Amino acid sequence: MTEIERKEDRNTTRIAFVPSNWKALIAFTAAVMVLPAFFRNDYFYFFFNILALNAIVVLGLNLLIGSTGQVSLGHAAFYGLGAYISAISSTTYHLPLFASLVIALALVALTSFLLALPTLRLEGHYLVMATLGFNIIICIVLGQMESITGGPSGFPGIPKLRLGPWIIATDRQFYYFIWSSFIVLFTLTLNLTGSRVGRALAAIHEKELTAKTLAIPTYGYKVATFVLSAVYAGFAGFCYAHYVTFISPKTFDIFYSVQIVTMVAVGGMGSLWGGLAGTALLTSIPELLHQLEDLQVLLYGLILMAVLVGCPNGLFPAIATFVTSTASKLAGWIARRPCESSSANSAKGEGRGFQPPAPESDAPLPRRELRSTNGPLLKLDGISLSFGGLQALSDVAIQVQPGEIVALIGPNGAGKTTVLNLISGLIEPGRGTIELDGLRLSGLPPHRVAAAGIGRTFQSVQVFGSLSVLDNLLLGYHKNGRCGFISACLRTPAERCEEEGLKIQALELLESFGLAKPALHSVRRLSLVEQKILEIARALALSPRVLLLDEPAGGLNPREGEFLMRHIEALRNRGMGVVLVEHDMNMVMRLADRIYVLQQGRLIASGTPSEIRKNPLVIAAYLGSRKGRLTAESAEKIKG
Amino acid sequence: MSWSLIPHLLVAGITNGSIYALIALGYCLIQNATGLVNFAQGEFVMLGAMIVIWLHNGLQIPIPIAFPISILLVAAVGMALEQGPIRRSKNRDILTLVMITIGASISLRGASMMLWGKGARIFPSIGGDSPYIFLDAAVLPQSLWIMGFSVLVLALLYFFFHRTLVGKAMRAVSDNRFGAALIGISANRLTALAFAVSGSLGALAGILVTPITSMSYDGGLMLGLKGFSAAILGGYGSVPGAVLGGIVLGLMESLGAGLISSAYKDAIAFLLLLAILFVRPAGLFGNVHVRRL
Repeated sequence: MTEIERKEDRNTTRIAFVPSNWKALIAFTAAVMVLPAFFRNDYFYFFFNILALNAIVVLGLNLLIGSTGQVSLGHAAFYGLGAYISAISSTTYHLPLFASLVIALALVALTSFLLALPTLRLEGHYLVMATLGFNIIICIVLGQMESITGGPSGFPGIPKLRLGPWIIATDRQFYYFIWSSFIVLFTLTLNLTGSRVGRALAAIHEKELTAKTLAIPTYGYKVATFVLSAVYAGFAGFCYAHYVTFISPKTFDIFYSVQIVTMVAVGGMGSLWGGLAGTALLTSIPELLHQLEDLQVLLYGLILMAVLVGCPNGLFPAIATFVTSTASKLAGWIARRPCESSSANSAKGEGRGFQPPAPESDAPLPRRELRSTNGPLLKLDGISLSFGGLQALSDVAIQVQPGEIVALIGPNGAGKTTVLNLISGLIEPGRGTIELDGLRLSGLPPHRVAAAGIGRTFQSVQVFGSLSVLDNLLLGYHKNGRCGFISACLRTPAERCEEEGLKIQALELLESFGLAKPALHSVRRLSLVEQKILEIARALALSPRVLLLDEPAGGLNPREGEFLMRHIEALRNRGMGVVLVEHDMNMVMRLADRIYVLQQGRLIASGTPSEIRKNPLVIAAYLGSRKGRLTAESAEKIKG
Repeated sequence: MSWSLIPHLLVAGITNGSIYALIALGYCLIQNATGLVNFAQGEFVMLGAMIVIWLHNGLQIPIPIAFPISILLVAAVGMALEQGPIRRSKNRDILTLVMITIGASISLRGASMMLWGKGARIFPSIGGDSPYIFLDAAVLPQSLWIMGFSVLVLALLYFFFHRTLVGKAMRAVSDNRFGAALIGISANRLTALAFAVSGSLGALAGILVTPITSMSYDGGLMLGLKGFSAAILGGYGSVPGAVLGGIVLGLMESLGAGLISSAYKDAIAFLLLLAILFVRPAGLFGNVHVRRL
């Protein structure tokens, strides 16, 4: 605890806008300001200005890749739209520069929004193709609408930038302008990635479905990120147009989009500092290879392929890892200490054994408001579902009372997990309704279902490997935060305060589950039982009214299972409803208040554990029966 | 606007549509074998044509011999792409693999520019350039070749997938890769085969289209993207969908260019692509993908 608190103190600044690693940023800013001392002529300014423009587009694309895991091959089009719209409104319509900027960014935001809306709803790589197609359309339109855009021969006579009374006319002035803009945008982006929203974006990238069940509105976040990322490109386009004062469609063709993607890939997808390094490297290659202009395309392709095949996390992160690992090896060799004794290993789950604390009844879980009705807490009625020709569930009805543990058992393939997926909104039922305390859940998207009070765990544990234990748990608290993209980017005191509040809650919850010690470690270091407990804790952070547990004991040894059972029992005492899918009959018989038995998508029995134990249909379903076919029919009779 | 143009537009549409269908089939095969979108598909098309041009115009090899050589060479390139960068990638993440195909596509385009220059090139069509008149429409012999070859390829693919053991194994792999591996099918080998077949389909499309439109080092990009649009239109991964999507796209493009505006001919395919993504992402023949948690 103390270690974490100290670390928190260091990271927390009360001033708005200052990112947590402000030292690196200040060093970078100083370097940018000092660099011109080494410039021998204006060409250097020009080169670094183009570099900054590229870096802004790369920054936006990096944000997109980091959060959605999808690539856009259409950022050149947004860059071009920003440039052309501002050029047209300021030159043809003589609007003031600021108005042109606003119009350009608004239109870029609108087009990117319209493009993102259909494509980000889909899985797979539709976004790449849609953006690529969009880029081609934009290039054709820019080339064809000669009366407005000047056609293929370009658009001349765009006014220079001006900031109030100052005109930014020279390369040198533009250098300071564009790099300041870049640093501001870079800071905003760093702040965003380090915030609650940024954590949610990282979760979306890694496991979108799991993120949805944590009440994160993944689709909305992805669309917002795409628009933000396009606006960055549009802003760069605006600066470009008013810097070079002449633009032509060729600048904004597919090849520029590909260059930008290559810069991101070489720098390391999702790594902001790496992206900057990748931009610097790939912007300088054409300058260094001036004579071999024809070679450029081939070279770009080969670099992109080689980096992706060899070091998929990016060239610079790979170099950084290599350097640090070599350095630590050297240090270890000098100290004559074997490498294995490093702290990394001693923290491993299997190394130290998991020492669970006893469940406390006053663990820091937010309590739900009182019930509004007297009926069952969760009610599934007449649920039917078919996948193609396969009838997965037919006419399933389940009720859960508050403070009741309901077990759902049945042979493999009976449809147990499907029921949980239906409740949590990952699948929509063909027929039937699901209600939580009178609120209709069926038809709601998963994140709304989660926010309404359904927490769940998964059959195969779903934690976010790229995040720390604490961050994994904080994702469960996502819906308790109010600060959105803008306050996250600005890192306002309110946002900081909220984040600290969430952290305190999360640490208390971790403590009560015995996971406070590895809070800042990567979740990959946890053992299976610890990961399962973390997953339950994360679901509890949602302060659910009903908790869905999908085979919590699977893969655990008896001692660990025992520990888990004590925790689940403690939940019942809080008035939470629990739906438990489990194969471990000892656990089911001991924990469950009532049991439903599913076979081939039908409920064949329900009742208390002792009733179920004696039920001939259940015995037949589990052990087989000579009249196997008949039993299903007689089940119908009994029910009817 | 004269309605007498319609028969011409229909013929042109079906001709181009057959080409798009061949390219869409290439996407479809690789999608089914690996789940990847192969961005280098358009480059296969370009390579097929450029190799024939090089063999015929440069080395004076007669066209009937140059055809199969080119198809085999591009099949080898496809296989090399799979066996090399894609197989060797340390990161099996789909995004990385798809980006590798983007890299491959740019490399092939760059290499082609280095080897054969930037200009557009052409080789003579097989049946000459005098059109047959058929129901008011002028039909070039090359159009007949294109349609004939497309039907032949479809028949061969049908035979391959439904009557041969290898073809059935390939369907098994696309249905359940792990299950196929358990019953002794080498999914790796069949994936390589899918890339090879896909490469040869692309090459065939390129060879067939070049006498009409000519080909340059960057001509594959547009054709590849239109083939992809056709595949999406038909339902990504569906074989009949790819064929129908190709024909529909060809017809819409040709009618749109003839009746509305030829300047925006190339934009039509992509507007259609965006419209399909908006309205019915599963395409004409696709079905909604069910995922197990």
